[in-house]
Amino acid sequence: MGNENSNEKEGAHKDIRKKPSANLEVCGKCHTEIAGNYSKSLHYTVHGFQHSISRRFSKKEETVFKNKVFGSSCKSCHASCGDCHVLSPSVEGISAGLIEGHKFVKKDEAKTCAFCHGGRVYPEFTGEYGGGVDVHYQKGMTCMDCHKKEGLHGDGNMYLTKNETKARPKCKDCHKTGGEAKATVKLAHSKHEGKVSCYGCHSQGEYRNCYNCHMGKGSTSKPGFMLGKDQRHEKTLTTLRLIPIVKDTFLKAGIKMEGFDNVADYKATPVHNIKKRTERTRSCDVCHVEKKDFLTREMLIEKGSKANENLIFDMKALKIK
Amino acid sequence: MKNVLKKCFMLVILMLFFIPLAAFSANVEPVVSTDWLANNISNPKVVIIDIRKAEDYKENHIQNSINIVAKSWITKKKDILNEMISDDDLKDLIGDAGIRQDSVVVIAGTVAAPIDLVSAARVAWTLIYAGVKDVAILNGGVEKWEKKPKAKPFTPKFDKTLLVNKDYVMKNLDKAIIVDVRPADFYSGDKKQTFVERAGHIKNAKNLPWGTLLNEDKTYKSKDEIEKIMAPVIGTDKTKTIIFYCDTGMFATPGWFMAYSLSGYANAKVYDGSAQEWAADPNVPMDK
Repeated sequence: MGNENSNEKEGAHKDIRKKPSANLEVCGKCHTEIAGNYSKSLHYTVHGFQHSISRRFSKKEETVFKNKVFGSSCKSCHASCGDCHVLSPSVEGISAGLIEGHKFVKKDEAKTCAFCHGGRVYPEFTGEYGGGVDVHYQKGMTCMDCHKKEGLHGDGNMYLTKNETKARPKCKDCHKTGGEAKATVKLAHSKHEGKVSCYGCHSQGEYRNCYNCHMGKGSTSKPGFMLGKDQRHEKTLTTLRLIPIVKDTFLKAGIKMEGFDNVADYKATPVHNIKKRTERTRSCDVCHVEKKDFLTREMLIEKGSKANENLIFDMKALKIK
Repeated sequence: MKNVLKKCFMLVILMLFFIPLAAFSANVEPVVSTDWLANNISNPKVVIIDIRKAEDYKENHIQNSINIVAKSWITKKKDILNEMISDDDLKDLIGDAGIRQDSVVVIAGTVAAPIDLVSAARVAWTLIYAGVKDVAILNGGVEKWEKKPKAKPFTPKFDKTLLVNKDYVMKNLDKAIIVDVRPADFYSGDKKQTFVERAGHIKNAKNLPWGTLLNEDKTYKSKDEIEKIMAPVIGTDKTKTIIFYCDTGMFATPGWFMAYSLSGYANAKVYDGSAQEWAADPNVPMDK
């Protein structure tokens, strides 16, 4: 590959193979287990995205999507081994370049994860988005202190979404409820368990939301904070992030999205700006009286999915005995 | 007269400058040098706070320092950026860092960008606001601390008696103590590395697996324990020629190091070529 005897860029790069690790067998010669697992992982297959969007399609449209769109669009963003360990993956055609020269790096979390997750997750986590530092980062924890290798490389099983994966971190993996020192905290946890996600109370502020789909016109990203129902668990109140899609996104491929309204545009989101104390942990009134930051009908985006309406949560006032 | 007035003016300026310092900072200058920090780094009262990003701290940091990123000390309130965090959060932040009222806190940040540079002062201000009196900023930041020593020409004094070759081993087969540090089944010839041509060990070699020198937690055993393990294999004559080898010369060195540096076997040597070179030569003897 290439011509090592050439001192000129053009000559040195002649016949070079741009992404040798796109073929997992290359890395799999030595890293057999990892490459085997990775071939089925969500990072590699992007099945999570496919599964999420396909619920908006009819059966016929789903086939068209798989044949015409997925491979050339969504799947083109999949990460090969080298995308994380040598250079940044190209996102929307832009690559941030090599991580550390041409060297393989085991991990360099500041770069490796942030290359792809630097739009919202990483800056929320490190406080660069202005909402304050996530308490875990404040304690010196970085991505892989919670997200284990099995979560990144896969565990050898195929999953449709990240919510199904076994290695996905959960707050309760480390923080057990019931043993709280303060009676008020213990009561708050017991009263809200199963009804409000941990993020619902412990997310400390604004996080990035997207208005208008990338495929539509006038795409913008704005800070916000929204509480509403989790579409997957409609009894649970949680933080929602707006990830809209417009009906004509796939029209060029002949897909009208007959099931457009099956999926909400506001997704339950594990926000990475967790804090021990927030305005909601400090005062019951913020939710139960002011109903602050709750998604309302008036806030819903225009021409959005009808499923968005199901996420509106009507908070009841507290019954004080 | 002009000079007297000038001196008086300077004195007043100096007094104005030092009076606040005397009131607020009794035990440390507000800006400390890397030399000062190096001299005070083990003082239990000194708390060094590294305010850089967690990844940078993990990669390398000043000894004894703790990491509390600059963004932890500020928050956004409504639309107003960089506001003081709430009193209870600040109380926890300082308490969790192990800072006490009588601590001497040194803030070490990066000076890479102006915002990084001013963040140290912002944290200092916040700590003083919280009632911590002795707060200092590390002048020049972590970069100055990390400044690598300048390269200096090194004149080696090679001790070529420590490194022996195949001919030397061949000539000393019957005179030296040859020690094979590989596991017993490699020594016996039941196993071998693929890159080693013939199984077995150098003729007359004795076996002292290098792993026997270590405890289960990968620490080296005590000098007494190591000498008890070595004595049956290499004897107690500290002047004897002892040649350590393994497969490629890597694993031979822990055995050599313990014999030479710990126990004073002055003629302990390493056969660098080891089994890989020895076994590839059909003219040298091996035992099984």
